[in-house]
Amino acid sequence: MDMKLMHTKLPEFIEKMKRAVIKNTPNKTIEIKGLENLKCAKMQSLRTGRIELSVGELASRDDVEKIELIVIPRIPETMHTVIVKGIGKDGKAKKAILEVINIIHPTEEVETADCEEVEDRRPSLGKH
Amino acid sequence: MKKLLYRVIEQGKFNDILIPLNIVFIDKRDIDSCGLEIDEAIKKIASGIQGPAGINVFDMGASTTSSDGIVLDGAVIKMAASDNGKINKEFGMLAMQEMRVTDELIEEEPHLMQWKKYYNDRKLFRGPNPAKKLIPVHNAVMSGRAVNNNSATEMMNVVTMEEILLPIFGQLQIMKDENVLIGLTGEYISVGIGMTVAEKYGRVFPTRQFRAGDTAHGSGEYAKTLKQHIPCIVAPKRVIAKYTIDALKIGMIPGRHIGCSPVVLTIAKYLGTKIDFDNITLKAQAELGSVGITFDYLKSPVQLLSEKEIIKRADEIIPGVENPMEIKSSELVIKRIIEI
Repeated sequence: MDMKLMHTKLPEFIEKMKRAVIKNTPNKTIEIKGLENLKCAKMQSLRTGRIELSVGELASRDDVEKIELIVIPRIPETMHTVIVKGIGKDGKAKKAILEVINIIHPTEEVETADCEEVEDRRPSLGKH
Repeated sequence: MKKLLYRVIEQGKFNDILIPLNIVFIDKRDIDSCGLEIDEAIKKIASGIQGPAGINVFDMGASTTSSDGIVLDGAVIKMAASDNGKINKEFGMLAMQEMRVTDELIEEEPHLMQWKKYYNDRKLFRGPNPAKKLIPVHNAVMSGRAVNNNSATEMMNVVTMEEILLPIFGQLQIMKDENVLIGLTGEYISVGIGMTVAEKYGRVFPTRQFRAGDTAHGSGEYAKTLKQHIPCIVAPKRVIAKYTIDALKIGMIPGRHIGCSPVVLTIAKYLGTKIDFDNITLKAQAELGSVGITFDYLKSPVQLLSEKEIIKRADEIIPGVENPMEIKSSELVIKRIIEI
């Protein structure tokens, strides 16, 4: 299968979310948080569509003026590779040391504490 | 109507020490006397706590181990984290795994000779079974801002990013309503908490990753800085000395059977018991040396002390917390009762 069908480009994902708001409610806005550090990434297409639906659904509510879309790790401990590079005067990389670091993040309750209602549409872990 | 007792250190300031979240201690006996399940009791108590909380449930009739391999009476059997009364349904609660102590286990983990000698009528718990937890690496539970890590011995508020260390010795003092030391973790404990023993389902590591004589940190001169400025609540040095002496007395050798932490090595030096220098790795030596616990120091002649003298002079000779303040548990810990 063509990979283009499987995953969505990061800028395209952001664009789609903005469009999902203004499609039926052109005066409403969206703020996207949590993707600032990503430069190039492919976003799961199936979920992109579902998130567009959720964005549109909340934007269409009379009591909603603005959408916040916040992306946090699904599992609140993430494991990262750290690449320590030594660069010479000539700009060439002399040596790299690979290390690892685990990062702990707040869970969703931090973002939903002020919500009147929370509907959890996530599949359980291991299912996507 | 039944009454459920729990102990809590409230989030805020204790003198100059920042308590980054509510710290809750529950005795399984109190849960049993209310006829509740452990999970039920945790949820009921959590539901009444505003702000982030780490919650530990103890079986004071069981036993556990410290990170450097000293066996103790009393154990955490379940940990939880809550925020404004809510417990994350996937990551918020985790049980410790009961370990059946067999001769085979003792052969793999010789520090458990202490269990055989002193605690063989008690169940043994250290960390969780890794197959039963969803957090990939650490033995941690999380709900909102609250994180309860390393099998209930390190808690943090992940939004303010402030943390507190709760070595098991200090928590058991609180459960016994005895005195504790509160202060900053400092260089010695920063180094010492890396000097672990190899344990299956250990407090920090699920597999036997770092043996006695090695360091889990492997950070050279930086090891002493890792937790240096973080507050901690520990047992008074005379209590740690007593348990450590009990271990040394039955032939536990630092660097071979139990961890080579600054505390254990210092007590062995003054008591004149054997240290397995050959088994202490270069990485561990570098970290110990950075806080002045060099082989030269450990091998230098010293006036040997009796068990009683070591316990009496513990504050003077044993390294530990920075700016320690000894207080009664009741000065720090509030006992609360909820009606069930």
